[in-house]
This record gives sequence, C-alpha cells and structure tokens, in this order.
Amino acid sequence: MNSLFSGLTHFQALTLFSLAVSLTFAFLSKRGALERAKYFAWAFLAFLLVAIGIGWLMYPFSQ
Amino acid sequence: MSEAVKQEQQGAGSSALGITAAVAGWAIPGLGHLVLRQWSKALVYFLCVGGLACAGLAMRGGVFGGNSPDMFDRLGFFADLGTGVFYFLAHTIQSAGPDVAHASGDYGTRMFATAGMLNLLTVLEAYEIGRGRRA
Repeated sequence: MNSLFSGLTHFQALTLFSLAVSLTFAFLSKRGALERAKYFAWAFLAFLLVAIGIGWLMYPFSQ
Repeated sequence: MSEAVKQEQQGAGSSALGITAAVAGWAIPGLGHLVLRQWSKALVYFLCVGGLACAGLAMRGGVFGGNSPDMFDRLGFFADLGTGVFYFLAHTIQSAGPDVAHASGDYGTRMFATAGMLNLLTVLEAYEIGRGRRA
C-alpha cells in the first residue's frame, strides 16, 4: 500500500483528497440522493478548479 | 415552547444516546451513525475518513505528538487525534515512519489531519442526531 500511495502525482493526491472531502461534506450538509449528488459534483469540481487555478497563479513565482 | 424543546421532551433523542454515538463515532469513524442505524452515512464516513487517514499514512505523512511545545504542532495533534483508532494504529500502519522531506509525505500529513477534522464533524452530527435535534 505504501508504494502505491507514495508514488501518487500531485494531481492524483488532489483528486483523492477532493473526492473524500466532498463526499463527506455532501452527506453532512444535504439530504436526499439527488441533492447530495449535486453538492458532491459541485464541491469536487470546485476543489479541482480552485487548486489548478491557484497553481497557475503561482507558476510565475516558481521560476 | 419552542419546537426543539418540545421534540426533546417527547423523547425523540437522549443525551446518553448522543454521547454514546459521539464517542463511538470518534473511536471508529462511522460507528456513531451505525449505532443510530444510519447505514449509508456510517459506510460513507468510514470509507472517506478511513481512506483519507490510511492514504495519509501510506504517503508517509507525519503524525503529531501531544507533547510538543509548539502551538501549531499541538493543533495538529488535536486534528490527528480526531481520527480515533487510526491515530493509535498510526505507527502500526506506517511501519516505515514519516518522510515529510518529500511532497507526498507533506500531503500525507495534511490528509491525515483533514481526516481527523472530518471525523470530528461527523462526531458532532452523530451527537446532534442522538440528541434528537437533527434527523
């Protein structure tokens, strides 16, 4: 298991993190399958887009 | 008389059930909801919190100890402690020890702490459901 997870790329780690957190938030804050599915999709995409956006904004400072 | 007070007096929940669910949920993520017969939530919380905690440990993330003089380390300790059984099994699961010199180890530290914080949120929810304040 260690070798599987220690070899994750940044994006894979971000996706795993976003998946677990959005799913938990969806079950904590919404009732009903449809509401939860919509909230999960929204939160998951928001996590990914915001992280990628911040990554692009920080890119010039890495040079 | 407010609706919440009426519900409490009608015996929709009890503080003993709330505390039992909260302690069970802290010890093993999802167990509090299992006690309350909320099967789907119990499964999802166990998989998400457990998966995040195990991934964090497998990525060789750091686990904070409780005796550090640094305030941020102590906050990290309380976050990590939120994972319950995973905190106490951390050294067994992570036999190679932490390696935060690499990015994956640093991510692992955050993942493990996040798992603890998520579990504390689920514990609060289990307590509220047990008390009958939330369905």
